[in-house]
Amino acid sequence: MLTKDLIGLIASSSGLSKKDTEHLLTTTTAVVRENLMAGKTIQLQGLGALEIKERKERTIVHPRTGERTIAPSKNQLVFRPVDNLKEELKKI
Amino acid sequence: MAEKLSWSELRRVIATRAGVSEKKAGEFLSELQKQITEALKQDKVVKVNGLGTFKLQAVAPRKSVNVSTGEEIIIDGYNKIAFVPEAGVKELVESNGDTAKAKTPVPEVDPIQKLGAQATEIVDILGELGQSPEKKKPAAKKKPAAAKPKAEPVVEEPKVEPKVEPVVEEPKTENEAPYIPEPLRYPIEPDEEEKKPKRFHFMRDTLICVVVLLLLLLIGYFFLRGQLSGWLEKLTEPKPVQTEQVVEPQPVQEVQETKDVQEISTADIRKYDEFLLTEKITPGSRLAWISKKYYGDKAYWPYLYDANKDHLTNPSKINVGTPIRVPKLTDIQRDTTTAAFQALKEEAFSKVKEY
Repeated sequence: MLTKDLIGLIASSSGLSKKDTEHLLTTTTAVVRENLMAGKTIQLQGLGALEIKERKERTIVHPRTGERTIAPSKNQLVFRPVDNLKEELKKI
Repeated sequence: MAEKLSWSELRRVIATRAGVSEKKAGEFLSELQKQITEALKQDKVVKVNGLGTFKLQAVAPRKSVNVSTGEEIIIDGYNKIAFVPEAGVKELVESNGDTAKAKTPVPEVDPIQKLGAQATEIVDILGELGQSPEKKKPAAKKKPAAAKPKAEPVVEEPKVEPKVEPVVEEPKTENEAPYIPEPLRYPIEPDEEEKKPKRFHFMRDTLICVVVLLLLLLIGYFFLRGQLSGWLEKLTEPKPVQTEQVVEPQPVQEVQETKDVQEISTADIRKYDEFLLTEKITPGSRLAWISKKYYGDKAYWPYLYDANKDHLTNPSKINVGTPIRVPKLTDIQRDTTTAAFQALKEEAFSKVKEY
C-alpha cells in the first residue's frame, strides 16, 4: 500500500479531509525524523518503537585480496514492533 | 539508554506544529496505527513517505534441535515485520546519528587519528601497568608490538586526545587492543578510497554480464526453436499424402515434438498428483507471494498458474477470494533451468501480456 492509499483510508475512517490528513502525516513524519535525529526513541502506540542503533565498527576482509580494513561504525534506524502486534502477525 | 518520545508527547508536538487540537492529533495517530496494522495484514506492505516501508516477511519453516534432548524439531514458519527506512532518512541517520546518540558529541575523526589516540592511551596504560604488572600481564604481552611504533607520533596527539576520548573509553581500548596491530599495517585511508571505484566497477560489470547472458539465452532460444521447427518441416514435408486437410493439426504436432526433443517435456512437469492445500487469494496477495510462502522461492509461480489454469485467466490479475490449489512440487519440477520450465514460464508470461 502506498502513502496515498493510507491517507485515503485514514481520511475516510476518521472524518478528516484528505488534505488535512496529508498535512498531519507529513508533520508526523517530520516530527519523528527530528526526534530520531535528537537521539530519541519514538514510541508509536500499538505499533512499535523506532530508534537509532549504532552498528559498531568492525574489521572486514576483502574477499578477493584478503586485505583487512575497518568498516566504520554507523547508525541504523530500526523498528521494534510491539509484542502483541508481532504475535498477531506471526500467523496469518 | 536513549530518551524516549512518548505517545502523548508526540501527540502534543504534532498538535502544535500542525495547528490542530491535541484531541484531533491523537485521533489521527490512533487512526494511523490502526490503518497501518490493518494494511500490514491485508496488503503485507505499507509505505509511509518520509519514513520508510513496513513489510510483512514470511520466514520459512526450519529445522532445529532440542537443546536438552537433541531431538530434531521443526520450527514453524511465521511472518515478521521488516522496516526499511527511506533512502533519504537512512542517509540522514547514518551521517547524523553520531552526535545524536552519545551525549558527548564525537567529532568526525579519521580512523588513523583515532587509532593514534587509542595507541597513546595504551602507551599510558602500559606505563601504569609497568609499575604494577601482576594483574594484566596477558593483555600487556600483546600490546607492545602495536604500541611501540606508535610511540613516535605522540607529539601530535595532544590536539586529538582531548577532543576524542573521554576517560570512559579506557576499558574499551583494552578490548580493542588485539585488533590494532592488523589495520595499522596498512595505510587505511587510501585503501578505502581505492575500493569504492573498484566495487562500483564490479557491480557494473556484473550487471553487464547478466544482461549479455540474458540476451544470449533469448537469442539461443529463438534460434533453436526456429531450427527445430525447420527440421521438423523438412521431416514432415516429404510425406506427400498430407494435403490441405492435414495442414491444421500440423502445428500442434510440431509443438509437441519440439518439446519431446528436450529431456524433460513440459507435460512431465505439469503433472500435479498431490496438492498441499488450497489457499484463497487475499487482497495484495500474488501468485509469486504464495509461491515464496510454500516453495521458498518466487520463481515457481508458473506452476501455481498452470495448476489453476482452469479458473484463472490472467495470472497478474486474480480476483480476491479465488481459491488457488498449491501443488506439491517434485525435484524435477523444482529445477528452474530445464527448458520445459522455461517454456511453461514463457506461456504463463504470455498470458500476462494478453490482458
